[in-house]
Amino acid sequence: MAPATSSNPTGSARDRGHADPRVLMALRSLELRARVVVEGFWNGLHRSPYHGFSVEFTEYRHYTPGDDTRYLDWRLYARSDRYYLKKFEDETNLRCHLLVDQSRSMDYGSLTYSKAEYVRTLAATLAWFLHAQGDAVGLVTFDERVRDYLPPRHRKGHLRRLMVALERRAEGRTTNVGEPLRRIAELARKRGLIVLASDLLTPLDELERNLGRLTVAGHEVVLMQVLDPNELAFDFHQASLYQDMESRQDVYLDPEKARADYQRRLAEHGRGAEAICQRLGAEFHRVVTDRPLELALADFLRGRSRRNKLIRRRAPARASP
Amino acid sequence: MNFLAPWFLLGALAVAGPVVFHLIRRSVRERTAFSSILFLRPVPPRATRRRKLEHILLLLLRCLALVLLAMGFARPFFPKSGASSPPPGPGRQTVILIDTSASMRRAGLWPKALAVAGQYLDKATPGDRAAVLTFDQQVRSVVSFAEWLSWPPDQRAALAKQKLAAVSPRWSGTVLGQALTEAAELFPEDKSGDSSARVVALISDLQEGANLDGLQGHEWPKNVGVQVERIDPAKPGNAGLEIVDASGAASGDERQARVRVTNARDSNRESFALAWDTGDASPAPIYLPPGQTRTFSAPPLPDGVTTGALRLRGDEEDFDNTTWFAVPETERVAVAYFGSESANDPQQLRYYLERAFPETGRRKVEVVSVLSNSILDVGTLNRASLAVVPARLTAEESAALRPWVAGGKTELRVMTNTLMEATDAPLEVSEAAGDYALLGNVDFTHPIFAPFADPRFSDFSRIHFWKHRILKFPANSPVRALAKFDDGSPALAQIPGGKGNILLLASGWNPADSQLALSTKFVPLMQTILDWSGGAAPARAQFQIGEPLPAPASPGDPVHWTKPDGKSVDQAAGAPFTGTDLPGIYSAMAGSRTNRFAVNLPLDESRTAPMSPDDLGRLGVPLQSAPRIPAAATAGTQRILARAELENRQKVWRWLIAGLLGVALVEIWLGGWLARRVANLEVSS
Repeated sequence: MAPATSSNPTGSARDRGHADPRVLMALRSLELRARVVVEGFWNGLHRSPYHGFSVEFTEYRHYTPGDDTRYLDWRLYARSDRYYLKKFEDETNLRCHLLVDQSRSMDYGSLTYSKAEYVRTLAATLAWFLHAQGDAVGLVTFDERVRDYLPPRHRKGHLRRLMVALERRAEGRTTNVGEPLRRIAELARKRGLIVLASDLLTPLDELERNLGRLTVAGHEVVLMQVLDPNELAFDFHQASLYQDMESRQDVYLDPEKARADYQRRLAEHGRGAEAICQRLGAEFHRVVTDRPLELALADFLRGRSRRNKLIRRRAPARASP
Repeated sequence: MNFLAPWFLLGALAVAGPVVFHLIRRSVRERTAFSSILFLRPVPPRATRRRKLEHILLLLLRCLALVLLAMGFARPFFPKSGASSPPPGPGRQTVILIDTSASMRRAGLWPKALAVAGQYLDKATPGDRAAVLTFDQQVRSVVSFAEWLSWPPDQRAALAKQKLAAVSPRWSGTVLGQALTEAAELFPEDKSGDSSARVVALISDLQEGANLDGLQGHEWPKNVGVQVERIDPAKPGNAGLEIVDASGAASGDERQARVRVTNARDSNRESFALAWDTGDASPAPIYLPPGQTRTFSAPPLPDGVTTGALRLRGDEEDFDNTTWFAVPETERVAVAYFGSESANDPQQLRYYLERAFPETGRRKVEVVSVLSNSILDVGTLNRASLAVVPARLTAEESAALRPWVAGGKTELRVMTNTLMEATDAPLEVSEAAGDYALLGNVDFTHPIFAPFADPRFSDFSRIHFWKHRILKFPANSPVRALAKFDDGSPALAQIPGGKGNILLLASGWNPADSQLALSTKFVPLMQTILDWSGGAAPARAQFQIGEPLPAPASPGDPVHWTKPDGKSVDQAAGAPFTGTDLPGIYSAMAGSRTNRFAVNLPLDESRTAPMSPDDLGRLGVPLQSAPRIPAAATAGTQRILARAELENRQKVWRWLIAGLLGVALVEIWLGGWLARRVANLEVSS
């Protein structure tokens, strides 16, 4: 399980050679943004600890008559004189669904861009990265219901369609994470990677049940909570009416007095989501929108790497010849 | 500095408000969009006190505005030495206007008025100027400004009071409006604008019957004030009466006078009685509630009496309880006719002449033939004032008629034929040729035709004269052509004959000669000729004080007028008599005839209930608010009134309110500037 990512000032990100998100968001084309991030990410890799992760070994099992002999591990047979079938996830078998929250709360941003803009760029970056590795990438955009659904494909033009779907503005208001998770559980028959990017500013009542449905089905689930820096710091100083961007309800408060309580409750909420992910074996990342996207991508891949190592360690113990 | 209403200064405590508001933090309810309020709990900000006041200047301005407002309401004034006395200061000009109308004859009023006027005169300093006027129906100057200044300063008050002592109330009505306007215009031109230095001191009983018409629409001088000194009687209430003009009475009984009685609003009596002063007639009781005016029938005047005084009994104020009555006289006029034809022959002149003089209430005309069997009745002729001569006279008749005309009578000679001689003067008479003649020119300036001067009645051109005679006078004869035919010859000519006149009519009014008798002009023309010849009596017998009395028509004779107090005045004939300053019976004797006129007080003078000085204020009179201090006022009241007058004169509150407005403007500007500056700072931050 990957730890939650904390906020990182953009100034330091620029010093390390990462693209400043403010500069990046100034680019109009979503595809161009993703390309800049991924290429910058690759250029920054001196040694590729993640190379080859997509052609992934899963497990051994004993041969039983009737199995396809093409998958026999002849080397192991030579050493042990026993028949084992070597099971791999072939390259085209990784099917990734990107679930992107486009509710109205995502329009908030204390920087020069909103959370929605950041999430779109992040999703585009992941899609570009996975597509470049030959994986099939699908997209689900949602607010209180599913707006767009693109099934995972790896074909020419699919990435372009995905970018167009990401750039389309949603008209919804509230956030309902359960609905897209239920739809994905119905639609994704084959096991795959499901990345949910949302601010998760919604009650967590049904989150565990819906996520559990996916993990039970064998899906790998990554939950990315995207927050604005000001949502963490609540850096307001003037008493005023604070209006919920989704429900339009007002609350009159003095931010100086309300800040501590707000931060405590937000942290509790985050810990609750993280605990759910831990229980279900899902990854949880908290991404702050001032964090360079290369780092967010690295965090994502680092979490994947940790997960694969864990699987490898468990597999020989479970199927030791 | 003192304050007239110091309790309003407590309002200055309201300055605590701005101080507290400046200490309390302002809570602004602005709206801020946030992604979710899921984790926010409403924690409204608490109004917190600031340790340090902000915008000190703004706070001071607001406090100053409140203090100025409180001080303005407290009506401050600066005490001055001698401020408690009302007298005018140096350079003050005062016109003392004293009412001398008949209502001031009530018991005790006139001495009070003189006392008040004396106070004003005594308090005049050597630098002051004063004038004294009296008014009733006319304004009369007792002491002028120039006269005042010509006197030694230490003797001015005494001399003015000495002249004032010779004045007494008259019998006239009260024309207050005209008196006030004349008094205000008495001041010389002054542009100082200080109304307290130019005062008209009105000393009057301010009866509600006073005539205020002169104030309607009058533009009052801006720098003149009026100080009203109302003189109240010891006892309120009054009743008065007047004879309603009885001429043309519907009853026909001209001796039955009708009387209008009024009872003042503040009267406490309701029952009165009417009685003639002859004592023979019994009093007639009447009932009249206060504030009402009603008309009653007076008791019948005793037989044989043509003038009398009707008295109102039951009213204590006696000045208006008598009204004089003169029975309108019916004038019996004889018109001497020098003809013997029948009065019933419509082809003759006399038939129409008798019908031209119908009997009226004021005159009874009798057409009398003075020729009886060709014998002239001189007695009848002397009784007549007009003689109509339709035929040629004999030498005896002419000889008798000539001195009669020369004595002031009028002869109307109708030229029915060319054989008639007109006068002793040479006259050529010839019969005119042609079908008919019309009147071409009428002299409407002559008294005979003057009543026809109005364009509605001046059309004589429709009267056809079938026959007329052409009269030719010598060039230098004193003949005046009053009307001319369209051929230029005289139709009616006047020839003076001694004190009387001879009128020559160049055509007759009988149907054979003309349509004159059938026209609408005939009767009024005969009436005007009769009036002009001295056969008319005056139309009215009842007059009011100040009205001119018409002179009896008596050509030539001077009129001997006798007033109620026995004084006599001789005036020329025709001039009206204007000296009606006493109520009573006036007699006018002209020749052998005497006419009597009753002159009375106007009834409005009996309406003595006092009016409010505010009635004058509503008509634009600039009243000075603080009245003169009554003698009965207590010392405390005097002090309060004096302070009020001083405050009213200084009007310091106006300056305070002006200052308040200035402070408010500065505060608005400063507040706006500060708000804009804060907004700019927020935007830039």
